[in-house]
Amino acid sequence: MAESYNRDSEPTTRTLLRRVLDTADTRTPRRRRSARVGAQKALLETPSSRRLSTPTKMNVRRGSHRARSIGRLAHVHTSGNLEEQTPRTLLKNIILTAPESSIMTPKSVVKPVPTPQVAQSSRQESSRGSLELQLPELEPPTTLALGLLAPGRRKQRLRLSVFQQEMDQGLPLSQEPRGNASASSLTSSLSLNFATPLQPQSVQRPGLARRPPIRRAVDVGAFLQDLRDTSLAPTDTVLEDTQPFSQPLVGHSPSVYHSLPFLSHTEAENAERAVSHRTQSSGSRLQNHNPGKPAQLLSGKAKKVDVLAVRFPNNSSAISGEDGVEPLQDGVGEEAEERMEESLSMSEVMGSTGTQGSVRTEKSKGHREMTEALEAKEPEGSSEDEDISGRTASPELASSTTESLQARRPQFLEPSPPPSTTVLSSEPLEPLSTRHPPRARTHGPRPRQDPHKTGLSHYVKLFSFYAKMPMEKKALEMVEKCLDKYFQHLCDDLEVFSAHAGRKTVRPEDLELLMRRQGLVNDQVSLHVLVERHLPLEYRNLLIPCAFSGNSVFPAQ
Amino acid sequence: MAFSTTVSQRKYIKRKAPRGFLKRVFKRQKPHLRLETSSDLLVHLNCLLFVHRLAEESRMNAFENKYGIIKKEHVQAAAKVILKKSRG
Repeated sequence: MAESYNRDSEPTTRTLLRRVLDTADTRTPRRRRSARVGAQKALLETPSSRRLSTPTKMNVRRGSHRARSIGRLAHVHTSGNLEEQTPRTLLKNIILTAPESSIMTPKSVVKPVPTPQVAQSSRQESSRGSLELQLPELEPPTTLALGLLAPGRRKQRLRLSVFQQEMDQGLPLSQEPRGNASASSLTSSLSLNFATPLQPQSVQRPGLARRPPIRRAVDVGAFLQDLRDTSLAPTDTVLEDTQPFSQPLVGHSPSVYHSLPFLSHTEAENAERAVSHRTQSSGSRLQNHNPGKPAQLLSGKAKKVDVLAVRFPNNSSAISGEDGVEPLQDGVGEEAEERMEESLSMSEVMGSTGTQGSVRTEKSKGHREMTEALEAKEPEGSSEDEDISGRTASPELASSTTESLQARRPQFLEPSPPPSTTVLSSEPLEPLSTRHPPRARTHGPRPRQDPHKTGLSHYVKLFSFYAKMPMEKKALEMVEKCLDKYFQHLCDDLEVFSAHAGRKTVRPEDLELLMRRQGLVNDQVSLHVLVERHLPLEYRNLLIPCAFSGNSVFPAQ
Repeated sequence: MAFSTTVSQRKYIKRKAPRGFLKRVFKRQKPHLRLETSSDLLVHLNCLLFVHRLAEESRMNAFENKYGIIKKEHVQAAAKVILKKSRG
């Protein structure tokens, strides 16, 4: 072939197109004759010529109509001009050979003109990949061009047997342009290229591609862990802002119910781990009480918890017991040990389902809870009586546990770690029996004081927060008394003010007057300023009138 | 909003007003009177400010005596002063 010497080793755009043209000799476009001349002219023209699309097309058609038999000759002719030939013109020739299947509209003819320029701009690129990348851009305009040229393009200068087959295949899919574009690449890759056209739609528009959701196998262990953690999460927040032992049990119960199904899975392994942990941390803990037998006591308690867990599957809040187990590893100190005992006793009382699994997960939870409870304890002076008195304000569960704690403490300190589980099993029964009488005792006075004390405790906590210093328990009791007195004064004053205004209802104006008299509100500081400073946003919206759309003010004045 | 939106200590303070508690206290003291909804919140605001002043006073007392912990005596002395102030 004449072009054989033109073929370069490097795959430039031009060479690739030439190869396609060479291999496509078998096919003859319809309008070869008429197009051929024009093609030659076009070939001779400068590549950047921006002739009108229609004239060029006419020329192309004329050229194509011509040399049917001399397709080769024309090819040779064109090949002779291949030196000046640009990829743009080469592509045009390829387009001529494409079959007429397109459904395109004529007005899109204009597009092919700019696209060859695009191809020309990319002519410099030598990589086939770049060529192929360009081709998708050229595809739509080429399809339109195809539609136009289809009727007159029976004679094909190019003979691409494989190309023709592929085109036939591509016809029903209207994937011609892509086929044309891909035809520019080596024929050997034509089939491959035709395979790709089916996908480019998604490549062009990645948003439309539907990908199957990535499904990962569910990690059951992690799932259970997360469930336990989430179920325990509320207890942290509850513990953080309330008294110790007042509500944690309430919060514990739902988490225990969550952890109930996990018992079977994790109990065995966790028990092993817990025991191993306890034995490890044996030295650090329990030095105050039983320095001689820390490990044994720990292991005994661990066994106790295990036994309890096994024995009382229907009870709740084993977590407290597990929290008690946890401090063994913390090495917090005496208070932690007390807490552990308390929690263990609580676990026995509640008879939790031995969620040993939750023991593991709650170690971290219990950490925080323990430390927070400890911190709450410290300012109040960690004394049992006060704890219990504080617990009286808490719900029944807590009170029962506190009583059990009372009964439990001496028992915990005394018993030597029994080596056999039978001894252990006997122990849980004893605290149960001792637990009941104390529980019945404190039922009477509780309902009277509890709500009042609970409400006051809110302000007492605020006091300790504002003070920013550690406080004694007695000081806090003193604060409670002060608050009582303050409330009395407040109600009296409000009564006087409302009576002065001739009302029987206390209104915000009375309150403002009171604060003004107290010196909190003056000319510099108004009530609204104080409201904004100290109250949360929700209350501010209720108190301070604000204008809304529609000429409305809320709250109404 | 408040003076301290971040809690210096580890525990978190509830910012909600115990409205039921306040209403109950008022009713118990003055059964023949009624408390309005908004004044409920203002009473809570008043309590906050009272407690705040009390805490400040107690802290100052403790500092003056060079105590690291607030003791009952400090609170007592502070209460006297503050209650007198908030008598209205």
